[in-house]
Amino acid sequence: MKLYEYEAKEIFQKYGLTIPKGKIVESAEDASRFASQIGGPVVIKPQVLTKKRGKAGAIRFAFNPEEAFRKSQSLLGMTLNQEQISTLLVEERIEIDREFYVGMTIDYSLLKPVAITSPFGGVDIEEVAQEMPAMVKKVRFLISKGLTDQNLEEQVSIFKSTEQTLMKDITKKLYQIFRDYDAEMVEINPLALTKHGKAVVLDAFLNVDDDSLFRHSDLVKPRGMSQDEFDFEQLLKEKKWKYIEMDPDGEIGILSSGAGITMAILDLIKMRGGRPANFLDTAQMDAEGIYNAFSLFSENTKLKVLLVNIFAGLNRCDDLAMGIKRYLQEHRLSMPLVVRMIGYREEEGKKILNEINVVPIRSLEESVEKVIQIAKGVA
Amino acid sequence: MSIIAKSSTCVLIQGITGNAARLHTKNMLEYGTRIVAGVRPGGGGGDVHGVPVYDSVAQAVAKHPMIDTTILFVPPKGTKAAALEALNAGIKTVVMVAEHVPLHDNLAILEEAEKLGAITIGPNTPGLISPPERTKLGFVPSQYFIPGPIGVASRSGTLTYEIVSRLTLNGIGQTTCIGVGGDPIVGTPFPKILQLFEKDTETKAVLLIGEIGGTSEEEAAEMVKDRKITKPVFSYLVGRTAPEGKRVGHAGALIEGNRGTIESKLTCFREAGVPVAETTADVIRIAKEILKS
Repeated sequence: MKLYEYEAKEIFQKYGLTIPKGKIVESAEDASRFASQIGGPVVIKPQVLTKKRGKAGAIRFAFNPEEAFRKSQSLLGMTLNQEQISTLLVEERIEIDREFYVGMTIDYSLLKPVAITSPFGGVDIEEVAQEMPAMVKKVRFLISKGLTDQNLEEQVSIFKSTEQTLMKDITKKLYQIFRDYDAEMVEINPLALTKHGKAVVLDAFLNVDDDSLFRHSDLVKPRGMSQDEFDFEQLLKEKKWKYIEMDPDGEIGILSSGAGITMAILDLIKMRGGRPANFLDTAQMDAEGIYNAFSLFSENTKLKVLLVNIFAGLNRCDDLAMGIKRYLQEHRLSMPLVVRMIGYREEEGKKILNEINVVPIRSLEESVEKVIQIAKGVA
Repeated sequence: MSIIAKSSTCVLIQGITGNAARLHTKNMLEYGTRIVAGVRPGGGGGDVHGVPVYDSVAQAVAKHPMIDTTILFVPPKGTKAAALEALNAGIKTVVMVAEHVPLHDNLAILEEAEKLGAITIGPNTPGLISPPERTKLGFVPSQYFIPGPIGVASRSGTLTYEIVSRLTLNGIGQTTCIGVGGDPIVGTPFPKILQLFEKDTETKAVLLIGEIGGTSEEEAAEMVKDRKITKPVFSYLVGRTAPEGKRVGHAGALIEGNRGTIESKLTCFREAGVPVAETTADVIRIAKEILKS
């Protein structure tokens, strides 16, 4: 779960890191009021989960309350990477002398956590890593031992000796956050060093491992969504299903279980010139799940066809066929349906589907061919 | 011969009294797996399908010193504690089926296993099956597997069944099929599995069923390129057209760079001379060609 900048900053502050004086606002009036409280230049930052705010020009500076009002007004309601801006973080503007980078994540290749620091932080950190790899220090460590003093020494070795104590302290604090919050990634970029030698967290990022949320009940709260969307999200969350909208102009919906086979189906469809719209990956399918899933797809009126892939290994074809039958008896599906079905109790499942005039296909390739024909209007 | 799961493998089931564990203990026993004990923390005594149940791993191992492998039918929250208990009781192979084990727990398990010279499989795996040995560890549906010369390692459960059932239909059997686990962190990624298959005399060729993300495919390709693996390796890769994962923050990019993408994996395999199937049907064609030569 990605946290908003202001949420991450609140946590960082609890761990003794310095953040700029700031306030969360939802209106231009409040933004200008806070700017006058600050009595100097402010930075206005939309609270969205995309990181491209800076490059998209969505971080604005204002020198007085009037300007803060105007700039906040233009930001509110804007859309950034499909996210509607409804909340702004207004902060005092910090006089920056230098910008550092501090982050921690997991090296999935070496299967170890890694701490990363650089004296050249900011939006171009990736280019720095490309062009001056020696200026980005990566230290792998053991989760059972934590960041040892030796790790820390190595970590800060690329900083000036006068900055090393400070950087050690900050890296240590960030490590504590990394561990306490089961972070997949935690980052300060940039960490601003002021002329007075103070380190201030200008931007904060914290991505908490979704699978650890049972340990972080304080973080799990409903976010500003309409009631409908919330229920839908809730269902996906409870079932741990993955629903992805791929292409707003797509024509084919896909219901399948397992990420691997779902990706294989997407590949097959696209290679044959089809356009998948969305897919739902139910980790394990059962009759009730298939019933619920159907209702999700029927709401999408743009879909021209729905492909259901059933490969019953642990579950049963007849059981899943019952789920389909129940849905189709109670509702009208707004699009044609193609069912690929193979596996345990296949014959029984086929009989059930035949009762509702659905003829399942055994071959995956044939079922893909069929949905493409339907989508193109040739079947 | 096969790898990891053998007829001599002596198995413990942790969490044996749960519903899924009961069902799959029965399935495994019927297939031929040698299960000698089960554990239910604080609730020992009695049996499940004739398998005696103990309070703790230490007790089970004391009674059955030949136990060398454990399968964790334990919820994700309890996986770390159960895995550490097994490792510290001296068990050398730990299969973790649970999905959604926290990342940091996963790292801790891996470190402990490495320290003790043990291997872990998963988490988020259906387990593994060795048809020539009539042994399966986990819940792989055995009806799709037959003995033969191909070693299979896969990152995805359902896709494995899809592909292997076709191999089987075409009379191409398997030495061992292993689900390495769908998580970004698994105990036995492709490079480790390749080394095991390389040593197995019965395995003539290895199929890697991979997907986008992570760098396991790239590392496997490098081993083939460096001739550390001399057996024929072929692959099926999915996710060619998957929407790109929206990564936020720079730390990931700083570590992986461009590795993990489909282009990176295809390039590495091509440079290593590893044929990559484009479609499911392609897998069979390549397998037949390799076995002919």
